[in-house]
Amino acid sequence: MRRFEMLLPGSVDECVQALAARGAGARTVAGGTDLLPQMKNAMVKPATVIDLSGIAALKGVRPEGGGLRIGACATARELELDPQVRARYPAIADGAALVGSVQVRNLATVGGNLCNAAPSADMAPPLIALDAEAVIAGPRGERRVPLATFFQGVRRTVLTGDELLVALVVPAPPAGSGGAYIRHTPRRELDIAVVGVAAQLTVQNGRCVKARIALASVAPTPVRASAAEQALEGQALTPETIERAAGLAVEAAKPISDQRGSAEFRRHLVRVLTRRTLTTALARASA
Amino acid sequence: MSVMKTTRDVKGVGLSIPRPDGADKVTGKVQYVADITPRGLLHAKLLRSPHAHARIVKIDASKARALPGVRAVLTAADIPELKRKAPTRAHAVLAIDRVVFAGQPVAAVAADEVAIAEEALDLIEVQYEVLSAAVDPLQSMKPGAPPVADAGTEADTSEALAHSAVAMAKGETPTKAVNVSQTSHVKRGDVAKGFAESDVVIEHTYRVPMVHQGYIEPHAVLAEWDRAGNLTLWASTQGSFNTRSEVADVLGIEENRIKVIPVECGGGFGGKIRALCEPITAILARTTARPVRYVMTRREELEAGMPAPQVIIRLKTGAKRDGTLMALEAETVLETGAFSGTVLAVSAVFLGSLYKWPAFDIKGSEVLTHKPSVAAYRAPVAPQSIFAIDSQMESLARALRLDPAEFRARHLSHPGDPMANNQPWASMGAPEVLERARAHPAWTGREAWKKGARPGTKRGVGLSLGGWLGGLQPTGATVKLNPDGTLSVLTGQVDIAGTNIALAQIAASAYGVDIDKVKITTGDTDVAPVTGLSAGSKTIYTVGVAVMQAAQAARKQTLEIAAGELEASVDDLELVDGKVVVRGVPDKGVTLQQIGKKGNLYMSKVEPVLGAAHPAFSQQAPAFAAQIARLDVDPDTGEVTLCDFITVQDVGKAINPLAVEGQMQGGAVQSLGIALTEALLYDDQGRLTNPSLLDYRKLTAADLPNLETVIVEVPAPAGPFGARGVGEPPIIPAPAAIANAIEDATGCRLTELPLTPERIALAIARTRPT
Amino acid sequence: MPKQILSLTVNDEPKDVLVQPYLTLLDALRDELGLTGPKEGCGTGDCGACTVHLDGKPVASCLVLALQARGRTVRTIEGLGESHTLHPLQDAFVRLGVPQCGFCIPGVLMAAAAVLAEHPAPTEEQIRYGIAGNLCRCTGYTKMIAAIQEVAGEMKGAAR
Repeated sequence: MRRFEMLLPGSVDECVQALAARGAGARTVAGGTDLLPQMKNAMVKPATVIDLSGIAALKGVRPEGGGLRIGACATARELELDPQVRARYPAIADGAALVGSVQVRNLATVGGNLCNAAPSADMAPPLIALDAEAVIAGPRGERRVPLATFFQGVRRTVLTGDELLVALVVPAPPAGSGGAYIRHTPRRELDIAVVGVAAQLTVQNGRCVKARIALASVAPTPVRASAAEQALEGQALTPETIERAAGLAVEAAKPISDQRGSAEFRRHLVRVLTRRTLTTALARASA
Repeated sequence: MSVMKTTRDVKGVGLSIPRPDGADKVTGKVQYVADITPRGLLHAKLLRSPHAHARIVKIDASKARALPGVRAVLTAADIPELKRKAPTRAHAVLAIDRVVFAGQPVAAVAADEVAIAEEALDLIEVQYEVLSAAVDPLQSMKPGAPPVADAGTEADTSEALAHSAVAMAKGETPTKAVNVSQTSHVKRGDVAKGFAESDVVIEHTYRVPMVHQGYIEPHAVLAEWDRAGNLTLWASTQGSFNTRSEVADVLGIEENRIKVIPVECGGGFGGKIRALCEPITAILARTTARPVRYVMTRREELEAGMPAPQVIIRLKTGAKRDGTLMALEAETVLETGAFSGTVLAVSAVFLGSLYKWPAFDIKGSEVLTHKPSVAAYRAPVAPQSIFAIDSQMESLARALRLDPAEFRARHLSHPGDPMANNQPWASMGAPEVLERARAHPAWTGREAWKKGARPGTKRGVGLSLGGWLGGLQPTGATVKLNPDGTLSVLTGQVDIAGTNIALAQIAASAYGVDIDKVKITTGDTDVAPVTGLSAGSKTIYTVGVAVMQAAQAARKQTLEIAAGELEASVDDLELVDGKVVVRGVPDKGVTLQQIGKKGNLYMSKVEPVLGAAHPAFSQQAPAFAAQIARLDVDPDTGEVTLCDFITVQDVGKAINPLAVEGQMQGGAVQSLGIALTEALLYDDQGRLTNPSLLDYRKLTAADLPNLETVIVEVPAPAGPFGARGVGEPPIIPAPAAIANAIEDATGCRLTELPLTPERIALAIARTRPT
Repeated sequence: MPKQILSLTVNDEPKDVLVQPYLTLLDALRDELGLTGPKEGCGTGDCGACTVHLDGKPVASCLVLALQARGRTVRTIEGLGESHTLHPLQDAFVRLGVPQCGFCIPGVLMAAAAVLAEHPAPTEEQIRYGIAGNLCRCTGYTKMIAAIQEVAGEMKGAAR
């Protein structure tokens, strides 16, 4: 890594001021699991690195308004193991459990995973499927953005240079809800999604009243498979309706071919994994 | 040379003893090169070409030199002794006027801190004229391809002999194909007639990409000169004497002016044999008059290491309906990168010699491309060659509806049968290994096991057999008796495979004392006898013999001294519990301590006991391994779950079974990596697209089952206590075993490695009706 | 660029170290504190050779900036056993013939210790996933799993 100075703010306000002062030459660091490899590969050479690990307000997972407030610096490992998350928001725990290895999950934060904004981010599809909102702090105060619109392109989000993602707020899923996230990787650990699919379903009186399906690694940003969602809502969830939705999810995918997978394989996987994720989400919703 | 029997009642050969350095390794005390930090240390970094083929127009290093904390910036212009036409990769210390692979060093920096050195690299301005690159070996071997080598450089086959002494007929000299650096051609009989008379002819093209040896410790070297012009190198290397010779040749100084200290090596597997970073680090140390350390980053290792070659084999085989083998035709292309260095001859041996073919025609070409040049990787070219021939035998057996294991056994060569070069196969245990594998419950129970597949998955079982010819290299060792009756053994052998404990066991057994009386040391190049590489599965086979002979010589001297003391004949003496006694007269004896002390007393006429041996070898000891894979396939995603994996291997004699098992398991995992996940992937500009361990995938503990090992012992006539080399055979069979298991599970025959989920899933999808 | 004081606890001892802000925790441990047990195998969190415990949890120390460890607790392989007594995991690794080249071993042991802290009676799968972040090229992992299982079994036996 090239040399840089480091700032250690103790609060969100201090951090926002530092970002405004240092401008484009500054980057924030939380777990460092994306930033440090990028710096070591000389993809990014910030003059200033702002450490978020000393800001208490960014940590932790707690109930809020019936739902969940996840601090931007909550680690993947915390989310993987948190009993509330596993019980009521299992798709988030599924996604968090898949990041890297245990040594990476103890550092990697949900905020970092989202703000790095790689198309393969495993924590994005589950949070999108759960209608999460991003809480953003900036010089002009706080704003909220639905996570579904947070991503603008590869490694690009709605954050301006002087803003900081502070938390994710996840509304309580209605009764009869279940979710899951499944991805395909060539290895069982230390790997990155070739395709990832999150599904969140609410089933009442034998019918699907709400469906959300979000896909990773098949477009520059995580995408919702809206046509597939609409095909499920109002329907009884049978293998046939699930299969139909899986086919529609393929149409939402616009994958490229790269060394991790060809477009053909990725489309194939979208169908397979959507089918499996929906099946698991349904089982959890019915439990 | 007769097989030496273990001395009765001596604790030595055959025991499973943990390595003596185990405690230092589990406590983090063992030092590797990157852990050694002398006062005044400077850190080296290299600026590397982003282009696979380009002319260097201009280099301006002035801004870099001006950066505070930078102590030296060198380009080729600053190193007059560099040869204009580098005969080997090691000689291409810094590119002179042309770069021939992306990642080739162009400038070198030494600075007070690593971060400053990296910033200095950013400040070096290089102007390139990009040239078209030869990136695909099949294109590169055609006339008119962009030339890789400087005109006049010879094909480099020196390393081939250390790994595997094979005498091969030289092929025709290439005429217009400028990038074909070696050829080979072996023939027997009339293949056209053989094919014409065959009932089944199968032809496939097998492809194995370049793979990295994957050692966890990157290349590292520390260099320091003294004021008299002598160089010390602390190196992570598999061969301190080889490193010394190469560095001496590159720098143009005498070998005895260089001391190479082989520091604990964090894995080599063939990738740390040839000199790589040592020359430039030494030059930086000389320029700055400071110790300089260079540690490669993982990215540099993947982009600019010395990987295994890409191998492409077109293989055509014919057989009669009753299973008689008729003819084999093969064209092998080995992609060697920017410098020649493959063991081309070996491939033909395995293709044409493992099974008995009445007619064959095997052509091989080594092809240069604008990619990093290759080096050995644990049984170089064998996993790829066995992948081809074993897959082909399996395909033939299935086409003929014959049991695939029985088909192999029927046609397998035995000792004495002619190899492809018409030499007879030496003593080898391939038939015994195959028989043991076939008898294993994982194989005999395979049909019942497959029926237990969970709904939605398919099960398959595959078997494969391969082997290594065994390297030969002269070597030396000494054994001395200490004044207290203990033994000290000295070799120059780098201990990368736990061989030191086995060598100590050999010395103990050959001399006649318990292992706990023996200490073994690996000396640097100033103090140790000239020693060969720790490679080629030849350490125990060659250094073991040297140690055994040195211990025998020391024993003989000891007994002769005792004979003088006891006024008895040497033939009447035996060595029991540290005492030389007259047989049948236990109180008439002299202890080893007494003998040792006498050899060290002032004015004593008794010589100190020092056994030395320095053998050369001519007889190889081929060693074979079979592997059985049982796996589940998820046909929708192509994901493979490896349920069981067994390695059956002939080791001749297991000097230390615990260490032998470790070698078998480690080789198996590397073999499985080649089979399932590993590939260096280049774009059409010759740049590596996966220069990190995220995308260069090595198998994790979560990807693997317990690796079962079965040791077979078919003694090698010339091996110490019958031992053969063990390091290389286990890396060979897995790719074919996995491909065979996948075909067993899915009906799909895959011939391109690695066997990724994508390849498997798409192959299955293509067989399904749409 | 001025150095800053980093105060933290390493292997049960309070330490004050001068570090540049761009130093990783791995580099600070190795170069400033002389604890060369944790190794750099890749620098990007993909191999586990740098595994240490940070506040009791296994982390890739090559991804932690040294100053991020301020006020926190670090344990390296040098702090796993005592100066004259091996930790049961270390002892089992030696006896069962686990280390070959040895480069991955400090990281594996720290990951294994964390597995046993979380799962005193781990299944084979829990062990495998617990050390899946540690790449080894020499051993094939089988003897590591056996050693960890043996220690877990002994701990279970001792607890009865």
